[in-house]
Amino acid sequence: MYKYSDIDKKIIASRVKQFENQVNRRIEGRLTEEEFKPLRLMNGLYLQLHAYMLRIAIPYGELSSKQLRKIAFIADKYDRGYGHFTTRQNIQFNWPKLLEVPEILRELSSVEMHAIQTSGNCIRNISSDHLAGLTLNEIEDPRPWCEIIRKWSTFHPEFSFLPRKFKIAVIGCTEDRAAMLVHDIGLRIIKRKNQVGFEIFVGGGQGRTPIIGKKIRDFLPKKDILNYLEAILTTYNQEGRRDNIYKARIKILVRELGIEKFRSLVEENFSKLSNKELEIDDKSIEEIFGFFRLPPLKPNTNQIPSKNNHEYQNWIKQNVIPHKIQGYSIVQISLKAPKKPPGDATSNQMIALAEISEKFSFSEIRVTHEQNLVLPHVSNDELFNLWNQLKIQNLATPNLGLITDTICCPGMDYCALATARSIPISQKISSHFNNYLKQKEIGDLKIKISGCINACGHHHVGNIGILGLDRKGQESYQITLGGSAKEDAAIGEIVGPSFSENDLIDAIEKILDTYKKHKRNKSDDFLSVFRRIGIKEFKKDLYDNFTKKA
Amino acid sequence: MAKKLQGETFLLSANELRSGKVVFFTSTGWSSSSSEAIKIKVDEIEKYEEISIKEEKKCIIISPKFVELDEAGNIRTLRDKIRNSGITIKI
Ligand code: HEM
Ligand code: SF4
Repeated sequence: MYKYSDIDKKIIASRVKQFENQVNRRIEGRLTEEEFKPLRLMNGLYLQLHAYMLRIAIPYGELSSKQLRKIAFIADKYDRGYGHFTTRQNIQFNWPKLLEVPEILRELSSVEMHAIQTSGNCIRNISSDHLAGLTLNEIEDPRPWCEIIRKWSTFHPEFSFLPRKFKIAVIGCTEDRAAMLVHDIGLRIIKRKNQVGFEIFVGGGQGRTPIIGKKIRDFLPKKDILNYLEAILTTYNQEGRRDNIYKARIKILVRELGIEKFRSLVEENFSKLSNKELEIDDKSIEEIFGFFRLPPLKPNTNQIPSKNNHEYQNWIKQNVIPHKIQGYSIVQISLKAPKKPPGDATSNQMIALAEISEKFSFSEIRVTHEQNLVLPHVSNDELFNLWNQLKIQNLATPNLGLITDTICCPGMDYCALATARSIPISQKISSHFNNYLKQKEIGDLKIKISGCINACGHHHVGNIGILGLDRKGQESYQITLGGSAKEDAAIGEIVGPSFSENDLIDAIEKILDTYKKHKRNKSDDFLSVFRRIGIKEFKKDLYDNFTKKA
Repeated sequence: MAKKLQGETFLLSANELRSGKVVFFTSTGWSSSSSEAIKIKVDEIEKYEEISIKEEKKCIIISPKFVELDEAGNIRTLRDKIRNSGITIKI
């Protein structure tokens, strides 16, 4: 795990002091809200529906047990005893008091955490694959690259006031577990003729104009990555629109210019602006990689304990995957227990998990963009013990990748921009489809729910996407089908008129009936069937049935 | 601030600057209880707008807004209802 240098520590400490000073000036009236707002946003502090909200970065999704304990402590002392893990590897507190935020930031700095790059029109927290460094088919661990990019971007003077926010994701293998193709820039580490480098995508995004990223470079040698990013960002900074917030993201620029033209501008800047100082030499790369070495795991023949317990067996099947070191497993912890808000964890759960990670996983925890957690290195023979301990904390729900493993934004329960609630929808789905065997029969299926068109809940890329709308004062839910956030990324298609909250579960059941009717075999998942038969079939079954019912 | 308002009667609401807490304007100042809030008629909007600007300048509140009431005197929109009575889910 990355450790702060003395300079990092100084920067973070002075940033806390600076913000404390800004808060004091605000309270005393020496700063107006208009002047203060951009300053608080630079420190992750929003105003939501009920209160302030503080968003804290979990760079590339990595947490130590010490950090998780600190988050739990903050949740108890300064908030309401829980936090919300988001879809970009951040955690949010929903009830902090302005006066206490500098103290919270000071506490965070003591465990090398902060809230910088979690808001505002800057390069945001770099996100990554939660299985980085753990799988055999990886070309290279993406986390060191995230850290290299973070170092370059955090206080980059030219890129602190971009036309709009800017999100980068980095992955190290073919499988995309970081929704890389719906980021402003997506980087995939690839190998070509024995040389490792980056395949680069640009102009992806969600929000009201969802777009899949376009490939801008087939291959870029590793050492040039910062120069190339600088060229993309400079082009965006020069050409991106600042007159219309809805057209300000890089995706709109790329769409309007076309990828060919955009590429030629970037390449021009790349050759014009590239400089030696931004080139990364092997020694620096090695130094950063040193922070991300595996703990001392010895390959062994330890087996997963077999127990005559269905719940345990289901959990092993659903949530546990092999580690690249023989004898170890990666344990995925679902934060989608029945009736719980997706992505929320209580301080008690966090404290317990910190302890569990110390006992079973070298004090490491990972955070996924699908709002779940991971214990990365668990010895196979400990899995039953671990499961028992997770179960006590309601952290052993066996639903990874299944219909109740929904992604969900806070919606109108918390968010001032929402047009409808989203958490109650997710809770309805998790109650209705609670039965594991029923879920297993449906198979892999991603439901993603947003409370408005901003799409923080990734609905555009859900196999089934649900968008909460306001229809004449009533909450109403529009369904999209066929989206994907993986390497085969696709934007879902709207199936037809929206549904009331009461009709929504019926509608989902009807959609699943169509799927089941056309499913050829066990491995024929929802997305494959959708791609084969198209939306028409779903539409017909869905709305004919609803008309008949009415 | 008073743009696109619907209805005849309103409450003045805001968030407290220091705590962020949702508050309503009453005859004795700001309170967390909407039931004590002053019911404001359409033609009084401007007067209360001025009050809210002053209260903002005094660094007591931020983000002032009018909450629309229906004919029965209840809060009209779901967003304002949730803002008044809290989240609708269990943690
Ligand atoms: C104060 C609360 C929040 C506000 C005001 C907010 C606002 C927004 C807005 C305006 C967009 C659209 C950006 C665009 O189209 O240019 C957006 C996108 C997004 N937000 Fe949020 N959001 C909030 C909370 C969250 C939460 C809780 C999550 C995670 C669960 C989240 C994750 C995202 C993601 C993944 C996107 C889409 C990616 C993209 O930027 O294209 N946001 N948000
Ligand atoms: S999608 Fe809309 S409702 Fe949900 S968090 Fe984002 S802005 Fe709020």
